[in-house]
Amino acid sequence: MKKALLALLAALMAFAFVSCGGKEEAAEVAKVKEPVEFRLNNGAEPESLDPHLIQGVPEHRIYEALFEGLIIYNYEDASPLPGVAESWEASNGGTTYTFKIRKGLVWTDGVKIDAHTVVDSWIRMLDPATGSNYAWFPNMFIKGAEAFNSGEAGADSVQIRAIDDMTFQMDLLGPLPYVIGALAHYSFGIVPMHAIEKYGNDWTKPENFVGNGPFILESWVPQDKITVVPNEKYWDAEAVKLDRVVYLPIEDQNTSHNMYLNGEIDWDTTAPQDQIEQIQFRDDYHATPQLGTYYYVFQNEKKPFDDPRVRKALSMGFNRKNLVEKITKAGQIPAYSMVPDMAGYPATSGNYEDINQAKKLLAEAGYPGGEGFPAFEILYNTSEGHKKIAEYIQSEWKNNLGVNVTLLNQEWATYLSTRNMGDFQVARAGWIGDYQDPNTFLDMFISGTPMNGGKYSNPKYDELISKAATMADGPERMSVLAQAEKIFIEEDMGVMPIYYYVTINMIDLNKWGGFSFNVLDTHPPKDIYLKK
Amino acid sequence: MSDNKVKNTNKHEAVNEFNQTLKGESLTADAWKRLKKNKMSMFGLVMVALYALLASLAPILPIHAYDRQILDHQYLPPSLTKTAGELMIERQIDLIGRLMAKEKRSEMNEAEKERIAQMEYDVDHQTMVIDGKEILVHKMRYLLGTDDLGRDMLSRIIYGGQVSMAIGLIGTITSVIIGIVIGAIAGYVGGKVDYFISRFIEVMYGLPYMLLVIILMAIFGKNIFNLFIALSVVSWLTTARVMRGQIMSLKNSVFVEAARSMGASPGRIIFKHLVPNTLGIIIVYATLRVPAFIMLESFLSFLGLGVSAPYASWGSLIQDSMQGMTNFPWRLIWPAFAMALFLFSMNFLGDGLRDAFDPQSKNRV
Amino acid sequence: MTKYILKRFLGMIPTLLIITTVAFIIMRIAPGGPFDRERAIPPAVQANIEAKYHLDEPLIKQYFRYLGGIIRGDFGPSYKYKDQTVTDLISNSLPHSLLLGTLALMAATFFGVLAGIIAALNQNTWLDYTAMSIAVFGVSVPAFVIGPVLMLIFAMKLKILPTSGWITGPDGWKTVLMPLIALSMSYFASIARLSRSSVLEVIRSDYVRTAKAKGLSPTMIILKHVLKGAMLPVVSYLGIAYSGIITGSVVIEQIFRIPGLGRFFVQSSLNRDYTMIMGVIIVYSTVVILMNFLVDILYSFLDPRISYQ
Repeated sequence: MKKALLALLAALMAFAFVSCGGKEEAAEVAKVKEPVEFRLNNGAEPESLDPHLIQGVPEHRIYEALFEGLIIYNYEDASPLPGVAESWEASNGGTTYTFKIRKGLVWTDGVKIDAHTVVDSWIRMLDPATGSNYAWFPNMFIKGAEAFNSGEAGADSVQIRAIDDMTFQMDLLGPLPYVIGALAHYSFGIVPMHAIEKYGNDWTKPENFVGNGPFILESWVPQDKITVVPNEKYWDAEAVKLDRVVYLPIEDQNTSHNMYLNGEIDWDTTAPQDQIEQIQFRDDYHATPQLGTYYYVFQNEKKPFDDPRVRKALSMGFNRKNLVEKITKAGQIPAYSMVPDMAGYPATSGNYEDINQAKKLLAEAGYPGGEGFPAFEILYNTSEGHKKIAEYIQSEWKNNLGVNVTLLNQEWATYLSTRNMGDFQVARAGWIGDYQDPNTFLDMFISGTPMNGGKYSNPKYDELISKAATMADGPERMSVLAQAEKIFIEEDMGVMPIYYYVTINMIDLNKWGGFSFNVLDTHPPKDIYLKK
Repeated sequence: MSDNKVKNTNKHEAVNEFNQTLKGESLTADAWKRLKKNKMSMFGLVMVALYALLASLAPILPIHAYDRQILDHQYLPPSLTKTAGELMIERQIDLIGRLMAKEKRSEMNEAEKERIAQMEYDVDHQTMVIDGKEILVHKMRYLLGTDDLGRDMLSRIIYGGQVSMAIGLIGTITSVIIGIVIGAIAGYVGGKVDYFISRFIEVMYGLPYMLLVIILMAIFGKNIFNLFIALSVVSWLTTARVMRGQIMSLKNSVFVEAARSMGASPGRIIFKHLVPNTLGIIIVYATLRVPAFIMLESFLSFLGLGVSAPYASWGSLIQDSMQGMTNFPWRLIWPAFAMALFLFSMNFLGDGLRDAFDPQSKNRV
Repeated sequence: MTKYILKRFLGMIPTLLIITTVAFIIMRIAPGGPFDRERAIPPAVQANIEAKYHLDEPLIKQYFRYLGGIIRGDFGPSYKYKDQTVTDLISNSLPHSLLLGTLALMAATFFGVLAGIIAALNQNTWLDYTAMSIAVFGVSVPAFVIGPVLMLIFAMKLKILPTSGWITGPDGWKTVLMPLIALSMSYFASIARLSRSSVLEVIRSDYVRTAKAKGLSPTMIILKHVLKGAMLPVVSYLGIAYSGIITGSVVIEQIFRIPGLGRFFVQSSLNRDYTMIMGVIIVYSTVVILMNFLVDILYSFLDPRISYQ
């Protein structure tokens, strides 16, 4: 018995040595070439690689490697740069745009890209049969898009056309000044229709994949990793410096942080919140203001939240500065208005903390010292970060205003359903801007829109937002939007902004170049290179 | 089965059957005698009693409030000797030291010096009204340190014990009772009954537990009763299967034959003869379930059942501490220690009970 | 016996059908849907998506459409991972969970039974207490604590193992070690305690006493009589444990980045990925039923007192 066990053990150990020995040799051979590999934590497994079916940050990161739309982002400030479109001009008072398509563009399989490709791709995006989640985005811009997408009209109602092989034109719903930046979004992506027709849903599998971005899909092991290598047929192939990019869907923040510390990944797109206090002193820790707002929604139709004085009192009744400095810690900015700081947009002054004023407002509303204030709940989706914030606000409201509140957490899908149905009193929410314009933070609070779970409604506000949509870019339009926000926040306190998000990235910039931080947190792999 | 008379006669019979040498002493008194001999079990019993006492007396114990946040006292390490103020300043100096290392300077700048001076002043002067008394807030002490919002760990662990112990025990007891009854019936009766019970158990195993809980919440809302339903609804399945196997292997033994030939009803045979003989395994099983229930609670609170913040449980305290494990180890160690000690005690108590009630071990004494 | 086996096999079909039906109903009652996101999408867009996946049809029609698919072996597309089918996702991830789970349970059983026997034979000595203390430790420290602590020690401090990953790269086998320990810990603990208890029972039984009286050597008694009798509750437990362990553990998989099946149990429900929920339920129930079946058969071999008519 013992001998047999010993023999088995010996055999196992021998096997282990042999197998690892062999592999180590293989690794040494590979070292001779020393290709530059860039490994990053992509946060989650992408839901899809098809630009028309995706809707998240992990997917966006991969999209930037594999595809290129008319417009791409500048890695420095996320401003628009020419991509498939070489140049463009606006006409008809900014409601028509004409794009010149870059010459000689081909897909990775050699098929030509021209203005018809763009038309066909966008029609596919809007086609009801595609079932795209993000179709609402092009619908906001392109004339006739919504009619086609909702099945009310045919594809020919969409006002986009190829004037000739190299010229593409689109008509907009109005003079929407932020449209060029928005075109870099994946929902305006162009896709290889010939490959989609051939392979159907399997066209994104590595063996079938066709793209037009700076990289091409090399391998995809779901839940494990995605690797991409440079696309030799890309028009700007010379600019691409990395030999391989590896996207790892790491869900556990501690694991990814450990991997980063051990040099197993080069770029970590997050950091464990409880460790930020220490991590922030590292040179490779970068926190950048982001175009996003963390806020609480009031149920504007339910008592006592139908009274703006109550909403204002609650908003004034806790200390945001303490919250961001001592609880969230990553450099978030206290928010007193819905729209984050944006060039050319006059900030709303908001209702700053003022406990005495808050008490006064509460008393005016009929609840002196919090007496008689009905018990209510803060709803949030389960997460340690949200819990901490809610616990802090709960304790502040109790100590400062004498208002008692309980906390209610729900898992994501239940929470979304509760919130969107408006079945709450106060709920946590967050919003990341889709493009660099105040409108992306404001148009969702128009009466009756699906996002408006708090049922905020003010005809004056609706009117101003609609008015801004028809105006050309300029300070006048900005002031109309600012006026709307003033009503929304300063007068009505329709929602309670808490802080503006920051994005956290850990990357050693002494080692990697072509990497910069911007409000959209976009970092095209095309520009990243290894510093010598 | 339910009335007293039947029970008494049963006891009499059981004694006759299993234990010819000992007479006149009740099963419980006898078991207690043997339990007292087992040192580890007595230790377990004392500890469990102590835990129960601490948890039930929590509101009148001289501890801090479990939900009082003092943000200045974030992440203070445990200390027997130092006050919160001293630890707070030490922490600030450490953070400034890290900043200086980053900025490659060796001296504090004016602002930082001022901040420390201000803190030192605050320590001796800043007051806070707690329970109607005005006290120097930074002279407080936290034996087990504080958490991310500056709340006392000791009091959070004691309050967390309330819910964790209750859930561990009640969940275990319900699931074991349901499991024993159903498993025993399936094992003893056999045939069609066994077939249907076994299939039913398989169906229950197959259902998506998470969705069951989500629906339970959506329909009936969040309350403690629902929590117990959520805990027991699937947890009896494994006990039932283990029980069924045990009963099947015992039901043809001599003593069962004897009871049957004496005209005992199936109910009596199952619960007076068979179940006591499987008690050893069941008790071990039950003690193994306790930690599972305690951890299940923290999972259920992820779904929105379980305890709501700022109330805590051992499971949630441990879970919340994981991210900062390397920097603030006491947030993990103390709740984990409190829970492990309780489970150790439970286990040794369970072992002792098992030995004490084991009908066969009497012959050895 | 043959008749019994046949009966059980046929019995699988109605059981699976009931599970599928009940799960289908439960799934659709749960609040929220697979396409809900932070931004609530306009009704027209929502309608397009629902039409694409036939979610606009009456529920009963969807149910039969789904059953029809299963009969053809088609589990449908995943609603979350839109480029993959449910069959793809399961067949890619199950082997990893199967490998890790089998290894972990083998280790847990071997060491668990060993510890249980040692403890029982030395009842109430320090050996017993030590073995049982380790077991209590194993069962009371959850995997989400053991995993990161192991990583901290072996990957971060000692730097002898990679933090995470799964059998890729030159040191592939090294990535198996930590998840293996973390996963098997609680199973080891349960098996150790169960086998200690049942060994205690068996060594007091008549047939062991008879064997002792006959003058058999202690080793022989343990191997021949005690082990066999003591395995009964362990086998019963193993059947259940195996169906749980090979279908993966979401916590271990996330901590150590293992592309296994476990994550789908939790995530498909949280994502309301209807087809995926059904897929994992069918896989899991089949495993549970087969395991129970196997356990019942094993029982009758291990214990001649049990018979199936």
